[in-house]
Amino acid sequence: MVYQLNNVSVNYTDRVALHNVSCTIEEGKWISIIGRTGAGKSTFVKVLKGLIPSIDGDYSIDQQLVQRDSKSQLKVIPDIGYVFQYPEHQCFETSVYKELAFASKMMGHSSQQITHAIELILPQVGLSEEILPLAPFQLSGGYKRRLAIASELMMNPRLLILDEPTAGLDPVSRLSLMRLLKEWQQQDNRTILNVSHQMNDVAEYSDEVIAFHEGHLMEHCDTSTLFLEQGQWLAKLGMSLPEPVQLLKLVEELSGQNIEVASCRERDIFEKVWPILHTRGC
Amino acid sequence: MLTFDHVHFYYKKGQPVIDNLSFTIGTGEFVAIVGTNGCGKSTIAKLMDGLLIPKKGSVTFNHLDTSRPSDLDMIHEHIGFVFQNPEDQFITTTVMDEVVFGMENIRVLREEIQSRLDHALRSVQMEDYLDSMPHQLSGGQKQRIAIAAIVAMRPQIIIFDEATSMLDPLGREHVLSIMNELHRLGMTIIHITHHMEEVLSAERILLIHEGRIEFDGNPLTFFETVDVKDYQLELPFAVRLYQMLYQSTSLMADWKEMIRIQWSIN
Amino acid sequence: MSRNVLMGQYWETNSLFHRLDPRTKIISIIFIMLCFLMLDTIISYIVATVFILAILLLSKIPFHIFRSGLKSMLFILMFTFLYHVVFTKGNVIWSWSFIEITMEGLHNGIRIVWRIILLILLASMLTLTTKPLTLAHGLEKLLSPLSKLNVPVEQFSLMIVIAIRFIPTILQELDRILLAQRARGYDITSLPLPKRIFAYIPILIPLLFTIIQRAEQLTYAIDARAYGNGKGRTTFKQLKFKQMDYQLGGIVIIITLSLILLNIGGV
Repeated sequence: MVYQLNNVSVNYTDRVALHNVSCTIEEGKWISIIGRTGAGKSTFVKVLKGLIPSIDGDYSIDQQLVQRDSKSQLKVIPDIGYVFQYPEHQCFETSVYKELAFASKMMGHSSQQITHAIELILPQVGLSEEILPLAPFQLSGGYKRRLAIASELMMNPRLLILDEPTAGLDPVSRLSLMRLLKEWQQQDNRTILNVSHQMNDVAEYSDEVIAFHEGHLMEHCDTSTLFLEQGQWLAKLGMSLPEPVQLLKLVEELSGQNIEVASCRERDIFEKVWPILHTRGC
Repeated sequence: MLTFDHVHFYYKKGQPVIDNLSFTIGTGEFVAIVGTNGCGKSTIAKLMDGLLIPKKGSVTFNHLDTSRPSDLDMIHEHIGFVFQNPEDQFITTTVMDEVVFGMENIRVLREEIQSRLDHALRSVQMEDYLDSMPHQLSGGQKQRIAIAAIVAMRPQIIIFDEATSMLDPLGREHVLSIMNELHRLGMTIIHITHHMEEVLSAERILLIHEGRIEFDGNPLTFFETVDVKDYQLELPFAVRLYQMLYQSTSLMADWKEMIRIQWSIN
Repeated sequence: MSRNVLMGQYWETNSLFHRLDPRTKIISIIFIMLCFLMLDTIISYIVATVFILAILLLSKIPFHIFRSGLKSMLFILMFTFLYHVVFTKGNVIWSWSFIEITMEGLHNGIRIVWRIILLILLASMLTLTTKPLTLAHGLEKLLSPLSKLNVPVEQFSLMIVIAIRFIPTILQELDRILLAQRARGYDITSLPLPKRIFAYIPILIPLLFTIIQRAEQLTYAIDARAYGNGKGRTTFKQLKFKQMDYQLGGIVIIITLSLILLNIGGV
């Protein structure tokens, strides 16, 4: 599946949320969407899901223009998974089972199909079958979050959009959630679009990064290329570099050397940086 | 001086959340309280300010006791509390009304309210937002107004209960720098958090686990002696770097240098 | 869904009404409403309407605000009209099977709807020209003698402030939940009417849940800010009657008395 936006703009009554955005999203990648609050990240991903009815410009999937209704409004696209910020706020059913089954039931799936899908999904989000009869409200924060994400995964989307999936979580829950998502994405060559402020996570998990600033799409490239080669203009836009990259720059400055790293991931940077710290006797 | 004396607390009988907790926090200290979700740190915060009352034992601030209802007004005046959700502590309809609200509660005279109002807003750099309404402000701005509303009451202690965890990086930066500035000016700061980098500015760390204190000391000793994985905490970046270096080279990298690196990054 | 101007919310134009003490406005409106409820004759209705239109003009608030406010009441107005038209007994002028339309019915229907419209316009004048907090202060001051009878006036006042404060927040939350459920494939508007009643469950339950959680957090916040039982608080903004308050009060009394006299005179 290839998702393509061509000169798309979104105008609200008081401001322009997206200016002439053109971009192509190919499958099989983890793409992080970064930018300051209000830069247009959420609007961008909402357009992709079809949650914004009136947009200027073209949106096509696999070379075909996405369907619009009689008033030229975009319709919600069912095959794309979308996880809102604090997704547990949308839970309402009396049991975890029913919450997971919600969207599938509406699509007309049978109970056997639903139960089978649930059995497959639960381990993928690190939840056990014991919680099925419980009410969502009885679960702890981290588990409720996984439940909400699992209900999106139930539809087996090829593209999953996540708006700050780790917001408000403690560090350990954050780490395990990101790892679960990475595993899910790598299975079956799925695509993840992750709106995030956590630069360390962006460096660690994403293949590509799309950067927004004041409604404009500034850059869409490889994660390493963005952080290692284009760091300066990121700072100008009020975004910080991931800590490993900051460390790299600091050591380069202190030692006067240019350091080649395999990627901007923590391990790769540490590997190259420690010998220098070692020889300088710290 | 804020003292916990053999405090027990539970929400449901038979499921103690705080178990025989005793400690003292002195004037002007900067204390970070850390621990996993559910370890009781938020409960401790509320016990400190008399928002919850101990089932056994006592919480005292100087000569005031939270279990004495007549002392509660004074306790709330002397101890400020910044909550986690910026939305749920903005009580009134505009910034000005919000900062004035607490002052009216503690019966500050009208003439003095105006000057305290100006000073409080300036201390959080929100002087231009007098007439703004909450839905026009970002999360970080709302937290700053909450801090201003508390500063205007001139407390001796301010408790920050995970006050940065719902903010974006910019908002977090602002709140943390205000926290440090307030401490510099003599305020006692109690910072409850699970972001371990924030802990590095504190002078003292209290690690809470299952309602009990597992560690009480300074940050350097903390990272040297505590295995944070046991408590589901994350290491700040520099500390991770140190540990990785130590493990792969058995090199005693200089602790202080590591912390310096962390500070220069942030 | 953008709700930039909630029906009846404060609209700044700095007219004379915006500068009046809220107590003047509250008392005047009560007087005028009571007066209107006593009116009977066509002339008195016309004079009352002219009076209200003059007020609307003087407020400098754009007419479309009032129009959209009335539009949302259209259903209730029509229903009231039809109810009176059909169910009032008297001289039948038209009938169809068991439905009888009488002269008196038409008369009643028109009068009552007219009256309701005037009252709505009057009430919106209050909320459009008075900031919510000021309104709450005004009410608190007017009701303060009741606190001697142990009525918790200060706390009612805080309740009103909080309700006003959280209306936009709750609406935002509602929008968010609607969007989230829509993203899951749940479209309320596509469901047939009988099912629609249960259809609100996935919307209302999460909403109620967040509202209750919010309320709990708020009680801690209010306690932490040393509110206590709300007694003995100082007030920063003072309400003082000015010249214009006395002048307007006088005018209101004159007009309401004249209307009543007009009415009694059977003109």
